[in-house]
Amino acid sequence: MPKEGRPLLSFGLFFLGSLALGCSVLAQQRPSFPLTHFKLRNGLQVILSEDFSLPLVSVAVAYDVGSVHEVSGKTGLAYLMENLMFSGSANVSPRQHINYINRAGGQFNAAASEDMTLFYQTVPSNQLALVLWLESDRMKSLELSEAEFEKARNDHLDDLRQRKMADPYLESSLSFDQLLYSDFAYSHPLLGTEDDVRNLTLDDVKSFYSTYYVPNNTVLCITGNFDKLKATELVARYFETIPAGKDVSPSLEPWVYTKKQVLKSFENVLASAPAFHLGFRIGSPSSNDFYVLSIIDYILLRGQSSRLTRRLMNRNNKIAYQLSGGIEKKKDRAVYKIFGVVNTPMMADQCLEAIFSELDRLKTAFLSEDELARCKNMFKQDYLGHFSSSMEKAIFLCESYLTIRNFDDLPLELDRYLNVTKNDIVGIINRYFTADNSIILNIKTK
Amino acid sequence: MKKIWVSLGICAVLSGTALFSQQEKFRKSAPPPEPLQELKLPPIESAPLSNKLNISFVLRDNVPFMSLEIVIFAGEALSPDKIPGTATFVASMLGRGTQSRTAADIEEIEESIGGTFSVSTNQDYVLVSFHFFPEYLDQALDLISQMLLQPNFTKSEIDYVKFATTYDLLGRERNLEFVANRHLFRLLFKNHPYEKFAFSSDVIKNWNLNALLDFFDRYYRPNNAHLIITGNLNLNTVTRKVSHYLNTWQPRELPPMPLQTVKPPDKDRLCLIDVPQAKDCVIYFGTAFPSPGTQDRFALMVLNQVLGGTPTSRLFMNLRESKAFAYNALSEIDFFNAGGTFCVQARVTPEFIAPSIREIQKEIKALTTSPISSQEIEQAKSYLIYHFPVEIERLDAFSEKVADIKARSGGDECWNKYYEQVMLVNGERVFGAAQKYLLQPFIVVVTGDKSVLSERLSEFDSFDVFDSKGQFQYLVNKDKKGAAHEAR
Repeated sequence: MPKEGRPLLSFGLFFLGSLALGCSVLAQQRPSFPLTHFKLRNGLQVILSEDFSLPLVSVAVAYDVGSVHEVSGKTGLAYLMENLMFSGSANVSPRQHINYINRAGGQFNAAASEDMTLFYQTVPSNQLALVLWLESDRMKSLELSEAEFEKARNDHLDDLRQRKMADPYLESSLSFDQLLYSDFAYSHPLLGTEDDVRNLTLDDVKSFYSTYYVPNNTVLCITGNFDKLKATELVARYFETIPAGKDVSPSLEPWVYTKKQVLKSFENVLASAPAFHLGFRIGSPSSNDFYVLSIIDYILLRGQSSRLTRRLMNRNNKIAYQLSGGIEKKKDRAVYKIFGVVNTPMMADQCLEAIFSELDRLKTAFLSEDELARCKNMFKQDYLGHFSSSMEKAIFLCESYLTIRNFDDLPLELDRYLNVTKNDIVGIINRYFTADNSIILNIKTK
Repeated sequence: MKKIWVSLGICAVLSGTALFSQQEKFRKSAPPPEPLQELKLPPIESAPLSNKLNISFVLRDNVPFMSLEIVIFAGEALSPDKIPGTATFVASMLGRGTQSRTAADIEEIEESIGGTFSVSTNQDYVLVSFHFFPEYLDQALDLISQMLLQPNFTKSEIDYVKFATTYDLLGRERNLEFVANRHLFRLLFKNHPYEKFAFSSDVIKNWNLNALLDFFDRYYRPNNAHLIITGNLNLNTVTRKVSHYLNTWQPRELPPMPLQTVKPPDKDRLCLIDVPQAKDCVIYFGTAFPSPGTQDRFALMVLNQVLGGTPTSRLFMNLRESKAFAYNALSEIDFFNAGGTFCVQARVTPEFIAPSIREIQKEIKALTTSPISSQEIEQAKSYLIYHFPVEIERLDAFSEKVADIKARSGGDECWNKYYEQVMLVNGERVFGAAQKYLLQPFIVVVTGDKSVLSERLSEFDSFDVFDSKGQFQYLVNKDKKGAAHEAR
């Protein structure tokens, strides 16, 4: 049974009535859901959140491991491991996990990122035990055969080749990451390199699995229509006897960097048009600066009316043909990235000039109440979008736990974003979005 | 004494192990499901306005957004024959400017109210979807009313929409599935108004302001539309608010809109669309039929599930898991106002193109010759029942489902009686549907590199070759000795 229970938190729903369009005060509309959080004796973190709207239940299992945990020469392990988790376990044949979920009418998916590996599924609520059985079986006793390993590794190599062919800017983007992050753990590609993947062995995978795929490195979240008491019993039944692994102590170095502009170029044989990458190293995702940075992201790049979209993609004076970017989080680090495809190298310079001039404008003139309110509402829309389905909610709660390790502050989190002021924005722009903190990689075509 | 302790120790270990393994017996097999919870959907309440605009409201509480969908019965089937794509063009111009607001102003308003705005067009209708924070319902309705009552179609926005649509279509035309699906659709609906839905990028140059104004004036009328609001409100408030913003929308007598019934293809046909240097190839395998009644509709849904509805269905298990011919192999059933289609699609490696076509044919034939086991039928029904709430869980999917039910005259059998209708399907009805709908001719479209595929398709009696735009190139015929000949 659960080792320590925590009181049920209930996030209130607050409507402050209708507000006029463009009004600077925003409706403080918080997501509303109950939340229970406890830890099993083996260290598994369990989050339960009921919602009785539909007879559905979602289960997300997040392992606190990603490509940042890989060591030199063994890249691609986290991504490979994600696929191998479907290769069968003591009581579930290879790929039967998928069949069980499909037969139950459910849907599933998995994702590996730099700092987390996530497995999630939604099923009718009468099948909660089935999902817990499946997830616990592969956490307890994944069967890693040479044949399954070979197959997964070949698929992985295929995937690497296909991505390279599909994205002509992939290589430059990887080079840019090396400039931006500078250390191996954060700068190497999520999928690894072809050479490394080819040289991985079954023992590497077994060791990775036994180190990181353990209850004390995992968060299990159940959301949707279920009985809390029954779900708690089921979780204990299926997960409590899985032995804890060794403590996975964080071996990641703190980020130390000096502000100095880096300007480089990259000759790209695959790309047909020149392009540029621009990046800024910004505060840690767990710092208070991050609330302000998130709103700045909406001012600069989110939506059709964002400043850089209007300035660079203006139909009457278009200087970029593709523009993307935003905040990128990897464990305790965050960067702000902008990528643009242009027609000529001169246009890349024009784009960079335009971006810096927009940043200067933000430093010298306050943005209007209307613009700030619009950006906050767009942010709020995306934030509340995490609660659009039980699966999205389960994923959000897992991610939140792995980022902040504490749910006490979660009910107030949205307000922290919505309370960002114009002064905060000027301060953060001045701190991070400066020429001497910028990394630029110009992509030239052959 | 020592021995006794050792023995006792061994006993303790053994009993502990036995106890442990007994405790762990539950891991040996999948736990049985609990009884299925009843799905209770909120009713779809409706009321008309005095200008004949139909309004529907569905309560969905515990969601932070509200959705507003407008169905306008002006799909591609109504585009002028000489200007296919007009319906899509007109729909795309909504939101591109009103008499008092530019397209950029409109984008800003949409974003200010936490909204997402989109317009899509299909054969039968246009769907305008607007999702936003509930406190901004008035602003959303105000914006929608300006788009419908005071549109401003400027030359620069028309040029922009034409450019953006061309760019989008050219991008899609590089996708093998899109090319195959579009070609299949054209052949299945040859000379039917639905054929216009499969227009290509080269017709966009014909889109013009006069056609736009004429189409808008004719069909964008309240008596040809249905507005649906989903959220935490009530029908009275919704009706009052909608009336406030849209009661001056003028109805107009609609031109006759006959619905020509869809017919099945008259013969089997195999087509190859050349996409030079494509590494894989894609097979689309389809037939069309007139609108089925409710019984057949649900029997067809179960039939589709058995054949290829999911990766556990027959096609996937055969072509991918057993034979390793294909990356995927699925089937799909679609219902329109004038009929429906049954399609199989598979992405295969070129060396297995011919055996893949044969296997698909075999799988379809098997459904018409021997009844499906009751276990398979029950599994398919379970999937349809269990998956339904998954499909409609998100507010956007939920409100689009309601809109589609209203647009395609679906009744409660597609909503609150859905479970009941699926449960009523039995093996006999599925077998009957298979014989009725799957014994008719099928059109097979293959897209891929002609230089690799032509020879592999030569085992078939004949096939037509098209270029990637869908223009006919030549026919390959096999003579009595089995040699292939090209005829232009």
